[in-house]
Amino acid sequence: MVNFTIEEVRALMDKPTNVRNMSVIAHVDHGKSTLTDSLLAKAGIISAGKAGDARATDTRTDEQERGITIKSTAISLYGNLQDDEDLKDIAGQKTDGRDFLINLIDSPGHVDFSSEVTAALRVTDGALVVVDTIEGVCVQTETVLRQALGERIKPVVIINKVDRALLELQVSKEDLYQSFSRTIESVNVVISTYFDKSLGDVQVYPYKGTVAFGSGLHGWAFTIRQFAQRYAKKFGVDRNKMMERLWGDNYFNPHTKKWTNKGTHEGKQLERAFNQFILDPIFRIFAAVMNFKKDEIPTLLEKLNIKLNPDDREKEGKQLLKVVMRTFLPAADALLEMMILHLPSPVTAQKYRAETLYEGPPDDEACIGIRDCDPKAPLMLYVSKMVPTSDKGRFYAFGRVFAGTVRSGLKVRIQGPNYTPGKKDDLFIKAIQRTVLMMGGKVDPIDDVPAGNILGLVGIDQFLLKSGTLTTSDTAHNLKVMKFSVSPVVQRSVEVKNAQDLPKLVEGLKRLSKSDPCVLTFISPSGEHVVAGAGELHLEICLKDLEEDHAGVPLRISDPVVQYRETVTGKSSITALSKSPNKHNRLYMIAEPLDEEVSKEIEAGRISPRDDFKARARVLADDHGWDVTDARKIWCFGPDAGGANLLVDQTKAVQYLNEIKDSVVSGFQWATREGPVAEEPMRSCRFNIMDVTLHADAIHRGGGQLIPTARRVLYASALLAEPGLLEPVFLVEIQVPESAMGGVYGVLTRRRGHVFAEEQRPGTPLFTIKAYLPVMESFGFNADLRSHTSGQAFPQSVFDHWQILPGGSPIDGTSKVGQIVQEIRKKKGLKVEVPGVENYYDKL
Amino acid sequence: MTTQLSAPPVLSTPETHIFEDPTPPSTTHTLPRYTDDELWDVYELERTAREIREGGYRRVALQFPDGMLRDAPRVCEGLEKAVGNLTARDESSSLETSFNELQVKPDGHTAVERVRFYILADTSYGSCCVDEIAAEHVNADVVVHYGRSCLSPTARLPVIYVFTTHPLEVEDVVRTFENTFPEKEEKVVLMADITYNNHIPSIREALVSRGYKNVLAPEVIHDPSSTIPNRKVDEGIDLKSYSLFHVSDPPDALLLTLSSRVKEMFIYPTTNSGPQTAIRTNTTISLRRRYALLTSLSTCPVFGILINTLSVKNYLSTATSIRSLISSAGKKSYTFVVGKINAAKIANFSEVGGWVVIGCWESSLVESGEFFRPVITPFELGLVLVGDGKRLWDGDWRGDFGGVEKLVESGVVEKKGDLEEEKGEEGEMDEDSEEESEPPEFDLRTGRYVSHSRPMRSSIPTPSSNIENESSPTAASNALTRRAKGDLATMNGAVSPGAEYLRTQRTWTGLGSDFHEVEAPQTIEEGRSGVARGYTVGEGEERR
Repeated sequence: MVNFTIEEVRALMDKPTNVRNMSVIAHVDHGKSTLTDSLLAKAGIISAGKAGDARATDTRTDEQERGITIKSTAISLYGNLQDDEDLKDIAGQKTDGRDFLINLIDSPGHVDFSSEVTAALRVTDGALVVVDTIEGVCVQTETVLRQALGERIKPVVIINKVDRALLELQVSKEDLYQSFSRTIESVNVVISTYFDKSLGDVQVYPYKGTVAFGSGLHGWAFTIRQFAQRYAKKFGVDRNKMMERLWGDNYFNPHTKKWTNKGTHEGKQLERAFNQFILDPIFRIFAAVMNFKKDEIPTLLEKLNIKLNPDDREKEGKQLLKVVMRTFLPAADALLEMMILHLPSPVTAQKYRAETLYEGPPDDEACIGIRDCDPKAPLMLYVSKMVPTSDKGRFYAFGRVFAGTVRSGLKVRIQGPNYTPGKKDDLFIKAIQRTVLMMGGKVDPIDDVPAGNILGLVGIDQFLLKSGTLTTSDTAHNLKVMKFSVSPVVQRSVEVKNAQDLPKLVEGLKRLSKSDPCVLTFISPSGEHVVAGAGELHLEICLKDLEEDHAGVPLRISDPVVQYRETVTGKSSITALSKSPNKHNRLYMIAEPLDEEVSKEIEAGRISPRDDFKARARVLADDHGWDVTDARKIWCFGPDAGGANLLVDQTKAVQYLNEIKDSVVSGFQWATREGPVAEEPMRSCRFNIMDVTLHADAIHRGGGQLIPTARRVLYASALLAEPGLLEPVFLVEIQVPESAMGGVYGVLTRRRGHVFAEEQRPGTPLFTIKAYLPVMESFGFNADLRSHTSGQAFPQSVFDHWQILPGGSPIDGTSKVGQIVQEIRKKKGLKVEVPGVENYYDKL
Repeated sequence: MTTQLSAPPVLSTPETHIFEDPTPPSTTHTLPRYTDDELWDVYELERTAREIREGGYRRVALQFPDGMLRDAPRVCEGLEKAVGNLTARDESSSLETSFNELQVKPDGHTAVERVRFYILADTSYGSCCVDEIAAEHVNADVVVHYGRSCLSPTARLPVIYVFTTHPLEVEDVVRTFENTFPEKEEKVVLMADITYNNHIPSIREALVSRGYKNVLAPEVIHDPSSTIPNRKVDEGIDLKSYSLFHVSDPPDALLLTLSSRVKEMFIYPTTNSGPQTAIRTNTTISLRRRYALLTSLSTCPVFGILINTLSVKNYLSTATSIRSLISSAGKKSYTFVVGKINAAKIANFSEVGGWVVIGCWESSLVESGEFFRPVITPFELGLVLVGDGKRLWDGDWRGDFGGVEKLVESGVVEKKGDLEEEKGEEGEMDEDSEEESEPPEFDLRTGRYVSHSRPMRSSIPTPSSNIENESSPTAASNALTRRAKGDLATMNGAVSPGAEYLRTQRTWTGLGSDFHEVEAPQTIEEGRSGVARGYTVGEGEERR
């Protein structure tokens, strides 16, 4: 039975100081959903017995079957602190009463779905980072932590699966302590790497209560604070002092009855306070229960003040252990306490998040509203993802109110990701039909929601594809568009088996595109319906959804392919010249490669066409060694006005140049969208306009003359600059025991992989291998790896960078790359040979 | 002039000649000239003269494609001679019988008035079409069209077609046919390019004599919208069970149309001599490309209608129906009349998102990457506008615009209905729904949402309000009207998309528009004042 009502939740929403928005993030299989269960059990959403097995936030059947989370799921919980005393420990922020509203988002751990994590992080202020005791900090732990810190989200850590260390590995107390402290150390290393001044020091320390230890499966967890509280009374010392003593090199010398920080007494090894006071009772319970020492158990329980139900007392072994531990150290209590005490409320968080969230100036009404988390300010709401409803084809827009109050029937401005203030593009006006509270797989209607809360909206899904900003202010800028750490680099094309089903497929593709933050669906120039995803697993899930749910028609699905990019590897050997069709206008241009760092910055959105051109020039000049004059004269980015190709005006004193800018830019967008080699998009090219001669009459230098000419001269300059083909490359991180490493290397070598790091996890026989693997070679990699290491290697692949496809020039049809190009051209129905430069280059 | 021209000058440059001439590239320059006899044969001078004579035409325009232009003077000469011969023979044979008539008509030599011939060359449109406009310039009564023809029905003038038959190795064709279809029961449609059509009966005879029972050789008619364009096909025949054997390469549009309608299609190439093997056609890739092209236009707000012909029958009514089709989908159309289309002309109108060609059906399929915006056929436009929810792409394709009217009849009604329904629903939901925006549409090409893909949707004509405005007498004097500065032209209450495009997308707005790049002047600060002996800074400050 759910132990809170919507009315109670609604009442708490008005006290933003008592709201905690948090997401649960971790590496895959570290136990996020399992841990979340214990919180749900506490809130009465699922029964305590089921907690740990139900994974109630995995609402989809395939999530349950596969045992992995695919979509992030939000749920609102009601939590309270036992004691007014506890309130005092909430440092640095105000609170109002002991009741708290916790909006929790359980996120997927697999890299392929990390876009879901990004979407979850955007709407939360704190993160519960789950780390496996045995596996420690893994690649995805690091990735999500980095993302969280980038969004200025404060982390707390729980070290999970402690039961495994005890039961399976049978580690000693000191070893366990060492393993904990190592794990915490590595988390802190990651955190300090991405130190952000405005967020302050967010490293985690057990003695501050920002680290918990526990077992999601068994439903128990503790923080040092909880134990400190117990012992504080006993020792008669201050709780906070006790906390510090219970971690690190602190020992209680039983002989002198004094605390010390020396590990030895008269040559004898002392027991660490953490081991003695915290681990010891736990170890004893484990030993007693698992070794079936029935007589010891009651005394032990009594000592620890654990009262069991008569039913539970009859249990044995693991069942009993679960019950005992759950009663002794309920996970939910530890987690709730940690979250309430140490994670920021929206009021606190939005103060420092406002500037990173908002695109506009920091002093306009919208930004001030966000900063103050003001429910009376103009509405600012960010929709971070779409959640399918039971009504097929419709979605809840899931988001967070950053300022103002949203209610049913409110007429809002819906600003899509391409909206620019003052223009009408991507701007819609619509009344919100209903507002709802997201409760896992279910929703509860709610009348209005004030700033600082997470909610679902009904009736605006047709206006936003994946994400966007809702506001009531006419002048508000957008909330910043999310940048994902994954890119859709793996593609598969789909077609209907039965031509009559085409409209259903098209409709299905639209829905699929909406339902996932990362997936891309489009029709390629060769007429195929393409679905692009972050990895094989991601695509597999998407296509399954498409076939069974969104489209609901039988499909034929092609093998996965990658999309290449065209680039240049050198500077144009001569200045390219093209004449307009009327021969009266000439464009001179040189192509050269763009620095990889600049391309990456552009793709990450740190250098963008929306920046002020002077600020951008500054960044380019200071960080990337550009000439300031050049940097100020960037005409545009492309393709699609935002890609990593630049058009730079280097002309001097050309008359009418401003007049032809639009035409040249159009030609540039066109040329970079379909490159000269294989009509693939271009990337990482810089085009310099060297000189322009124009006809004196405006009519003879119109778009008709210049757009095709600009395209031709761009092609000519690119073909003269040693064109190359770029392929996407995955960063693969593989965890493997030493014995199976040979197999890993074998598979990697066969697939053009290249290992660049290999390190042993201290205290384990496990090695972590990091390698670059071309995406093209990665299809079937996981299965291959599994069979060559007898299932002992666990790879995680995430798109990392683009690299030049080795094997010759793409223009040369006899080289390996040239053959790939010809294959692409053939598939596209183009002339097989790459058109030579003479098609675009005109003699003077 | 020191050197003599060995060939007629190329009048249209290949570069701008994008609307490719469906005739195979003229190899005639290298071929030996026809002897007089051959000339009479190939250009069918006898028949032409007879038809001119029978029609009683006085002014005859001879239209030559570029490749045949060099024969033009001789053909003209020959025709004059042939017509002269005919007239003479007529006169001699009818001299006695019509003696009385002559008596009645003393002014008899009007009947023997010389027929005048005009040579038309370098047509503004495709050379497969009849250039009626040029013919009308010389006031011609009839046009004789030489060479390959698309057989589009004409609107104004009678036309005599001379297909200028090419020679063909009938034996080789038959042998290839046998290799292609070893099964004698096979159902095959036999068809040839119009310039080889004369050989069809003999090929068919040869095939029938070899035991092929189901060979169909449809005769030529002037109907591009027939199941097999320009060929007569009985209603009852299910073409899907037939294979097609085509002599010579058909133009792209015909290829797509044909292969979409028959089971299989084989082409007997005629470009090089020697024994041939029939090529099985595969149009999947080009059809896919067309699909990509037309789906990329589904969110395009502004269409350009290119009228590329002035002689094909129904072109005006088609233009009207296409316009109404576009506007009923809530989009805007602009109409352009062009001769030959080239990239420069198209790129001049960057506000137009896609082009529809109304022209000769065989050449309106433009497969070229050179164009800034996609160019599609009226049939494809129908598919674009039908919307994602109803679009089917089952391999059917047609080049003619015969189907458009039907689309308009059915489509428009549907669209309007949809619109009203939607409006109705919205209206019921809440009162002030007019202010609410239309949802954006999913752009299939890029996978993003596009807003304002139907700019004219809100412009349901409101004649009542207009009349009101006009009739209501304004209190103020209307001698002076305030010029609404920066306002855009509106049509039926909706902003003109062309003007809107220019306002939002164009960065260059004339001289002085680059002023904003100049830095703002710094704020004024009070400086020093006084004499050189000592200045004061600000008020009441001590002297320095």
